[in-house]
Amino acid sequence: MAHEEEDPTFEEENEGIGGGAEGGQGKRKRLFSKELRCMMYGFGDDQNPYTESVDILENLVIEFITEMPHKAMSIARQGRVQVEDTVFLIRKDPRKFARLKDLLTMKEELKRARKAFDEANYGS
Amino acid sequence: MDNPGESPSDKGGEPGESEEMRAPPGAPAAADPEGLPEETDGDGDAELKEAAAEESELKSQDVSDLSAVEREDSSLLTPAAKKLRLDTKEKREKKQKVDEDEIQKMQILVSSFSEEQLNRYEMYRRSAFPKAAIKRLIQSITGTSVSQNVVIAMSGISKVFVGEVVEEALDVCEKWGETPPLQPKHMREAVRRLKSKGQIPSSKHKKIVFF
Repeated sequence: MAHEEEDPTFEEENEGIGGGAEGGQGKRKRLFSKELRCMMYGFGDDQNPYTESVDILENLVIEFITEMPHKAMSIARQGRVQVEDTVFLIRKDPRKFARLKDLLTMKEELKRARKAFDEANYGS
Repeated sequence: MDNPGESPSDKGGEPGESEEMRAPPGAPAAADPEGLPEETDGDGDAELKEAAAEESELKSQDVSDLSAVEREDSSLLTPAAKKLRLDTKEKREKKQKVDEDEIQKMQILVSSFSEEQLNRYEMYRRSAFPKAAIKRLIQSITGTSVSQNVVIAMSGISKVFVGEVVEEALDVCEKWGETPPLQPKHMREAVRRLKSKGQIPSSKHKKIVFF
């Protein structure tokens, strides 16, 4: 059945990269079940999405998260640098790039605001 | 779910408007070859206004007060730098107007949401991946520890990724004339389509360029 065919592919990818972190054969602990459900509802799915769909999504996300830094490791510095990931995503996806930029600039602003807030506290 | 004609900058079914308006500030800035530090500085105040709207629980008033102070300080520069600063200032002001419009539109939109839409919007905004789990995942790949920025960036991008897949799956579902609770077959078709568009990274097949 198609369902069975798909799962080993995902499992195999993860085992190759994740090593021992995720545990044995295919019995990976469900890391993101609750959050993924909320997210799917937020993006337009039903209030109770199917468990299998959530599973597929979780596999996808884990593959994505492991894939991205893995590629970044082989570029530029042999470590983990922020900017490399960013440049990657420019090429691939304008939407993700915009989101990343927003995230980073917002973080800057929050840091600035918090610092100034603390200084204001000091002054008074 | 019934807005198939929306621009590709949509993030999800219902809250499509928000992303449409947020993407433009991102896009023109991305096209500028002025280098990242310049952009961050120029966008700083515009993004401040946006941050104020988004993190409304956070001291928004203090933040908008700060923006005025920052603008004054930045005008004490050399002429060349001043010219550059003027350019970015104009861009900044334009962007501020766009952001203010956007904020107003968002407020109008959100105030006219039905109960279920409000619920969904809240879920969309608040759902996030647990930072600890993501950090653990990334560290198991790199073997060394990673900075917090990376974890935040990865969480954000994964959320966008989930959005893309779910949105595509909903399109597939609608196209096949079926109803919402998404089934695995929709998801898999969505993944196949995104893969052919190149939106899903996979390092399983090494690309042979010349043969």
